[in-house]
Amino acid sequence: MRGWTDPASGRVSFDEWLELFDHVPDELIERYHYYGNSEAWSKYLFPPQMFAIYGMRHLRRLKFDNSLAALRMWGFVQNETERLFRARQTGRRVIATMGDLGAVPVIVNSFPDCVAFYPDCIWWTPFAMESRVLFDAAAELGIGDATCFSRAALGAFAKHSYFPDPDLVIASTGASCDDYSGVEQLVESFAPDMLWVEEPMRCDLRPSGPLEQLLVKEYERVVERMEKLTGHSVTEEELREGVRRANRVRKLVARLRELAFRDAALAALEMMVVEFGNLHYYSDMDEWTAVIEHLLATAEQRAAGGERVVDADALRVVWVTPPADPLLLTYVEDAGARMVGTEYVINQALEIMDASKPPLEAIAKSFMAASLIGTSKARAQSVTSQAREYGAEGVIISGIFGGSHCAMEGRLIADYVKAELDLPVLEFDVTSPSREISRQIGTRIDAFLEVLRSRR
Amino acid sequence: MELIPRATFEQIRRERVEELAAERQKGKSVVGYFCIYAPVEMVQAAAAVPVRLVRGGHAAEEAGERYLRADACSFCSACMGNFGLDPLFKQVDAVLAVNNCDMMRRLPESIERQFGIPVFQVYMPRTSEPLPHRVAEFRRQLDLLAAGLSKLTGVSVSDERLESEIAAFNRLRAMLLQASNTRHANSPLLSGRTMLDLAATAWLLGPVKAISLVEEVLRIIAARPRSDVHRPRLMLGGSMLAEDDRWLLDMVEEKADIVTDILCTGARWFAEDVPAVGAPLDRLAQFYVSRTCMHRRPNTDLYSHAQRMAREFRVEGLVYKTLLYCDPYAFEVKRLQRALGIPVLHLDTDYSTENREQIRTRVEAFVETL
Repeated sequence: MRGWTDPASGRVSFDEWLELFDHVPDELIERYHYYGNSEAWSKYLFPPQMFAIYGMRHLRRLKFDNSLAALRMWGFVQNETERLFRARQTGRRVIATMGDLGAVPVIVNSFPDCVAFYPDCIWWTPFAMESRVLFDAAAELGIGDATCFSRAALGAFAKHSYFPDPDLVIASTGASCDDYSGVEQLVESFAPDMLWVEEPMRCDLRPSGPLEQLLVKEYERVVERMEKLTGHSVTEEELREGVRRANRVRKLVARLRELAFRDAALAALEMMVVEFGNLHYYSDMDEWTAVIEHLLATAEQRAAGGERVVDADALRVVWVTPPADPLLLTYVEDAGARMVGTEYVINQALEIMDASKPPLEAIAKSFMAASLIGTSKARAQSVTSQAREYGAEGVIISGIFGGSHCAMEGRLIADYVKAELDLPVLEFDVTSPSREISRQIGTRIDAFLEVLRSRR
Repeated sequence: MELIPRATFEQIRRERVEELAAERQKGKSVVGYFCIYAPVEMVQAAAAVPVRLVRGGHAAEEAGERYLRADACSFCSACMGNFGLDPLFKQVDAVLAVNNCDMMRRLPESIERQFGIPVFQVYMPRTSEPLPHRVAEFRRQLDLLAAGLSKLTGVSVSDERLESEIAAFNRLRAMLLQASNTRHANSPLLSGRTMLDLAATAWLLGPVKAISLVEEVLRIIAARPRSDVHRPRLMLGGSMLAEDDRWLLDMVEEKADIVTDILCTGARWFAEDVPAVGAPLDRLAQFYVSRTCMHRRPNTDLYSHAQRMAREFRVEGLVYKTLLYCDPYAFEVKRLQRALGIPVLHLDTDYSTENREQIRTRVEAFVETL
């Protein structure tokens, strides 16, 4: 990159990140725009300080990858709220897709001038802001504290300031978590138009063909509603192109996962952000693709040069269920571990779709890999296969107090993992938004890593 | 209070456990189920004995926490505990589980793993609009269930047997509905507690015995004098009320009349009949897919049902009891209160007994405000 050379790979603090940003040439800052626009409003490579000033206080406590690609990624991701409002201003239709984590946006993004986003992902915002304001707003509407942090999405709908009021809400529900299904039900009163989509329950011992057919019918309803909304009759080729574009991202992410887990070429925090990009591309698929291509080039270069972001000798851990508080990932890496696998309940968004199939069938088939619609045993198998592949030494399950699936499957997953691989498992619940990791959780993580170390 | 002059519910339950043990000795299979979506007609048509498992209990809840986290719903924990503790649960040869809320959907996996009890898992769409492809999928699930049940018992689920069982369960539901509807009158003679006991007995005994019991109870109450005193007319709602939750009904009925409910362990179980026209499995599919529950999306039908019941039974207040961590019901309290426009007492509790006097105070205060 002209005018810029990445420093030796590593993780940097917020202050170091800011210092680093001072060296980014103006030419690069001017280069990156979202929505393929070239005007000043669509720039997104801003100093981290800006997002902290905007309220993302937690950024001050995290550690970040020190590459330009990572800086760019964070700028792009943090800019999403602004981007969604710009989408509305520039005449795009804004579609809230909820609950299915990865499938419906493939369809929505096949329509011209439509932007899909996941209110679900607002669950990180209270932690990033170190604020309970969204939880309090959800509580006013009936969803109190003994519930998954995804309730923040309801608060965000009520506040009308985290994303524009969507033109359409597509709410997927079925064999999924109750907390979010409950959120979706209460969101209905904020939605000008809402389409409910069924998510079938996967029975791992039976063929999934009929359930895929059910999903195809559901996706046909999505297409029909989108056509009604946009007045655009989508062609098979447009949907195929949507699948191809999504696959492009999924393949890039698959390679990034490999480089991160095998070669430690990317840290856990950035990898989590990257994986969740597969859901909705942070509301700009083309630019997100460019962002992760950049990130992948950096990671490839590091792997080729034997450079690592975290210590090669770090303890190898698989992480189960995404931590709502990203500081946990920083904490665990600081404590001497690194991620060699994740089961973030978004398996469906990581699957490569079969582009030779009719598009809706391809999307349906990939959705059947969804983590939440099957058994805990299937999730455990995903964990153990990754653990085997990269020689994991332990498994961390970060749960959510009151989260319906966490309450039922945490112990089962631990049980299966221990039975199959005899690996130590640490399970804890992420606590409410705060400036720091709770002492108790910190101590438990430290003790857990000591156990892993002692087993070497 | 006795259900009928000669026996309490608990006595009937004990006797039934002995009967079931004897039937199993003769080769019968007992199939346990939890919710109103379980097609009991099919179980009986396969010559197995369906038994609804709706026991709570604090000891069972605590025992269940060995397998589930403390933030699992109290009923799920109690179920796990009861498989190790309760004599009725110990008679169960297989579990019929229809996915409804997320925790209940996941419960069978734990039952199977921890107790080695085989599970028939039936997928029911959560979305409530009965679109043809959704009903067709549930219909396919019923075929799979029929095959599984036949394998268990060696008896195939024939149309003829199904017709007979559909008719029997329709008669049972009609009788329970008739009993429940006696509460339309002022100062109802049938208490909410007795109604809960009748429903629980029906799940335990099956249509033939339960129908004669309901008839007997109706004869007995018809001979009772009706009080002139007006007491507040209340509706019950919320998470499933377990068969051993009758303490709450007794507590409420010291001060008010429970005239109806919107519970899955109450009037919702017998609110409708399986339709009369069509092939038996098609009718069952249509019937079960159309049943209301708070966890269905959207849950508009349950709201309409609740509004209709409140209007028809001239309800003055709602006692809404949720189990701790029962999200589908707990989230709806505020919305339901707005929709019904009547005072609501929300009790959110587990199966522990320590807070009962607090609940009594709240119930009394609530009734006084009416």
